[in-house]
Amino acid sequence: MAELLRQCFVMQGRNFDKAGEISGEIKVILRDLGINAAYTRRVVIVAFEAEMNVVMYAQSGTLTFSVTEDAIDLIIEDVGPGIPDINLALQEGYSTASDEMREMGFGFGMGLPNMKKNSDEFRIESVVGKGTTVYATVRHHEDA
Amino acid sequence: MQRCGTMKTPELTHGFEIDIDRCEGTMSCMRACPTHAIRVKDGKARLIPEQCIDCGSCLKVCPTGAISAATLTIADLDRFRFKVAVPAPALFTQFARSDTPELVGQALLLLGFDAVWEYALDIELINRAIRDFVRRWNGPFPLISSSCPVVVRLVQVSYPTMVEQLIPIDAPREIAGREIKRLYSEKLKIPPEEIAAIYITPCQGKSISILQPAEEVKSHLDGTIGISEIYNDILFNIRRLEGIEPGSEGDSEPRKIFRMGYPEGEFHNLSESHYLPLTGLTDIINVFDDIEKGKIRNIEFLECHACPGGCIGGNLTVENMYVARAKKLNLIASIPVPTKEYLLEVERRYALEDFSLRAPLNPRSLEDGKLDLHERVRRKKKSNELMNALPGLNCGLCGAPMCRDHAEDVAAGIADLKECVFISKDRIQNLKKHYYR
Repeated sequence: MAELLRQCFVMQGRNFDKAGEISGEIKVILRDLGINAAYTRRVVIVAFEAEMNVVMYAQSGTLTFSVTEDAIDLIIEDVGPGIPDINLALQEGYSTASDEMREMGFGFGMGLPNMKKNSDEFRIESVVGKGTTVYATVRHHEDA
Repeated sequence: MQRCGTMKTPELTHGFEIDIDRCEGTMSCMRACPTHAIRVKDGKARLIPEQCIDCGSCLKVCPTGAISAATLTIADLDRFRFKVAVPAPALFTQFARSDTPELVGQALLLLGFDAVWEYALDIELINRAIRDFVRRWNGPFPLISSSCPVVVRLVQVSYPTMVEQLIPIDAPREIAGREIKRLYSEKLKIPPEEIAAIYITPCQGKSISILQPAEEVKSHLDGTIGISEIYNDILFNIRRLEGIEPGSEGDSEPRKIFRMGYPEGEFHNLSESHYLPLTGLTDIINVFDDIEKGKIRNIEFLECHACPGGCIGGNLTVENMYVARAKKLNLIASIPVPTKEYLLEVERRYALEDFSLRAPLNPRSLEDGKLDLHERVRRKKKSNELMNALPGLNCGLCGAPMCRDHAEDVAAGIADLKECVFISKDRIQNLKKHYYR
């Protein structure tokens, strides 16, 4: 499917004060494009959780967002510790967040499961010690 | 009201009017508008109706008084056989401390109303309905109060993904209107259409919620009268009443009312830890933006009133907001313990009535629904590109409030890039024709 729009955002690890700004920006773009609310909500949940993961665990990362006629693709690539056991990380409630992060209201082990739940296609590639890449595709459902 | 030619959703009305003859194109309204819904072209203000949320910011700042609220006057009510005033709690904060709610109520009767509605009970009922709704809700938080029509419209226009978080419970004033129609048509044996339920409003936002409810049903109320419209008449009648022995005029009904009137603060009895009361559009927009960014968590309920300070800061109020606030606190302190009959009536009505909105709230579509994604993407890219040509100073001289708005208007084909004074210098000469008179 032909790509209509592509935008790339850069993220810094530990930038808690800026966390959420990229997903906020994506939300505005989708609103301007007249994308319906339920569809937008799913895309933004994926983007937000991805952004939080980079902020919490990685040194830096990029989020590439592209729009096609019937889907929105998100690719989140980070330089960071990587995920040793992807299946375990995808279990609800599994978390490696520090107490400090939990105190800030993050790290309840719902990030990756939430991303998967709201995507139609979801894939993680990770190399321990190097970084992680997440590919998520959110499709437009007529009934949504 | 004049509208931008190419934008079409003629069904959408608003709670105020722009008198084009009186408009001098000062751009005050354009700069004050939080949703960028006004353009000033050829020295005249125009509204983009789809973007207007009826906050009334424009009305407050217009130096020539060209923008007026679409409210009624007492004379407009003649066609009704029985007229009931539903005074907003803010009304009672507008007069001196010695001018009690009872006196204000009696003054309303002297003005020609046949009854003054005790609004407190409806507020109590809605309080409960909202509390129960918040407890039962298992969708996304925070829930957002829907009693302020401006807040509802702000969410519909600017935060479409949050529309499902607007609490689908009717406003107390609507429940009051419904009960007024039921009660008096039964009591007086006249059809409900001949009974007027008129909201005495602190803002023009309530007018639009009656003229065109956001949930697209017919309102139970028949119109609004602005507090500022009848302030002088009420004051005059209060002074007249003071010279009359108690009980000699307009007794019975107004005597009993207002003993429970909570002025504003409609949800003061909700859980404090998960509840944020917000007032003022600027603050509300900041909080909504933070919610979108996921920065505000663990909050279940936002009570939002678009006017700073709440309804006592409405654009149709008269008293200074801080003075009104002091009066309000004084009134709250003097609320007596509710009587047994009152509590029983609350129980009775709560069990019997449904307080849900009669239709779902939906996001407002901002553009012609026929536009496809390709066209929207084209416009988005085009406007991003045009931003490079514009100075980013947001001077407004092109007639759009910000360079970004001008770029979007040009991309949508409803403005000319050359209207920017930085791009065509002779534009200043054109402007002089309008502004040096």
